[in-house]
Amino acid sequence: MKLGDVAVLGVGQVRFGVHRGRTSLELAREAGVLALADAGIDLRSVNEAFVGYIQPAPMLGIRAMKEFGLTGLPVTHVENASATGLVAFREAAHAVASGRAPVALALGFDKMSELARGGQAGRGIGRDSIDSVILPAAYFALWATRRMHERGTKPEHFAKIAAKNWNHGALCPVADRQADHRVTAEEVLASAKIAEPLTAMMACPADDGAACAILAAPELVRTLRPGRPLVRVLASALQTETYTPGHTFVGPVVGPATMSRDTAQEAYRDAGLGPEDVDLAFCHDAFANEELEYYELLGFCAEGEAEKLVEEEQTSLGGRIPFNTDGGLIARGHPGGPTGLAQIHELVVQLRGEAGRRQVEDARVGLAHLVGGGSVCTVSLLARD
Amino acid sequence: MPEPVPRRRTPIEPGFFTIPDDPAEPPRLLGSRCRACGEHFFPRRVVCARCLAQGCEDVLLGPRGTLWTFTWVHVPFFGQKKSAAAGYGVGQVDLPEGPRIQAALSGAQGDFAIGMPMTLELETLRETPEGEHVVIHRFRPDPAKEGA
Repeated sequence: MKLGDVAVLGVGQVRFGVHRGRTSLELAREAGVLALADAGIDLRSVNEAFVGYIQPAPMLGIRAMKEFGLTGLPVTHVENASATGLVAFREAAHAVASGRAPVALALGFDKMSELARGGQAGRGIGRDSIDSVILPAAYFALWATRRMHERGTKPEHFAKIAAKNWNHGALCPVADRQADHRVTAEEVLASAKIAEPLTAMMACPADDGAACAILAAPELVRTLRPGRPLVRVLASALQTETYTPGHTFVGPVVGPATMSRDTAQEAYRDAGLGPEDVDLAFCHDAFANEELEYYELLGFCAEGEAEKLVEEEQTSLGGRIPFNTDGGLIARGHPGGPTGLAQIHELVVQLRGEAGRRQVEDARVGLAHLVGGGSVCTVSLLARD
Repeated sequence: MPEPVPRRRTPIEPGFFTIPDDPAEPPRLLGSRCRACGEHFFPRRVVCARCLAQGCEDVLLGPRGTLWTFTWVHVPFFGQKKSAAAGYGVGQVDLPEGPRIQAALSGAQGDFAIGMPMTLELETLRETPEGEHVVIHRFRPDPAKEGA
């Protein structure tokens, strides 16, 4: 479905990190209040809301929305693992596009630091389960080992990507990790080993946080926020796995990598664009080797050329196609539910030209990609008029 | 002929692998085969994921396969009190029937290479208060095939 007649009215994000002593609802309220202020409206003007989180807590989305007032608006919960926030955004965009909600809100929040301490990786993964034996880190490490075998990729390539994201995060005020020095690939490689060849600094932190985006028809956005660059949602695709021979069904993170390629192609087709039109991109860099794979799967280089992209620093700020300008999952952080809405927050800040020291010059088209639990992928394309 | 009575073994989760009475015998994986198109699956399923026909039949898969990829994890193995320094292997093994199986690997860091023959075994994760051994399937390099 072609969107296009949906625009971003407001965005807000709480800085990701460990927020001890603050509840999910406090974080959600702060992000929502920021987005409503950015939009210049209050809850009376919001016609529908989509709320996403991963923590196992029924009804928490409706409770979170009560923090902004009780206006009777329809609220729907969305949960698609790491892709949750970006899928809530997709639902809000389609609610506006369909005409049923002139203004729709997507809100994501989570306290992953508490889930991580409790030893629970996510919903439905208990101690006595065959799926819980293998950590997500191990799955992504399996992918990295295979890549090294097939393409001659070195751990240094993964380390360079991680260092790039750490250094992007240092420039972003809402990023969790803001290193006080320039992070090098050597430093990343020397950090603690998690699962060969991945090290701790190649992995995302388990964060707390919240983020929110408000969408509306372009005419309404122009009326409420005249003089501000108009950012449109061009496409938002969502796919689950397509069966392929050799499919892996058991484990916490499974699914064919081609899911990212197929979902991106659907988004490009819907938007009438190609990867050559994209000025900056965000991806699911929970582990640095993933980002390298997505350079190819999202169409930014040919198969087998991702290592060259890294060596030439083409995905760093100032390069041909900057990736994860806010630090990505690795440095901005990855609380789960709000992660995709943090991508949207940074994308909108960039497309408005408000990103300061990390501004991508003349950024016009941006892409946001997330996978969830290895079994679902979503890709959104946004553009400034 | 007096044999030591083996501890009773119980699966971490039922429905994934056999537990042979003879501890020397390798386990098999509980899989499915589509009656319409012949595709094999692990774990068991009713509807074929390839052709969508209903009514897959139960089959036993393994115990042998080929290592597709592997890693060495530097954190304690789930359910065991191993020190962080020890670590453990994880891999994906392609069965000749088709499915790719993700499982823990038995052996030391450096024992594994992509393409090597692997075979299935059961590992004891812990003991229940009743004295049963809770087991899970894992793969190890296949000595029968080494040098073959």
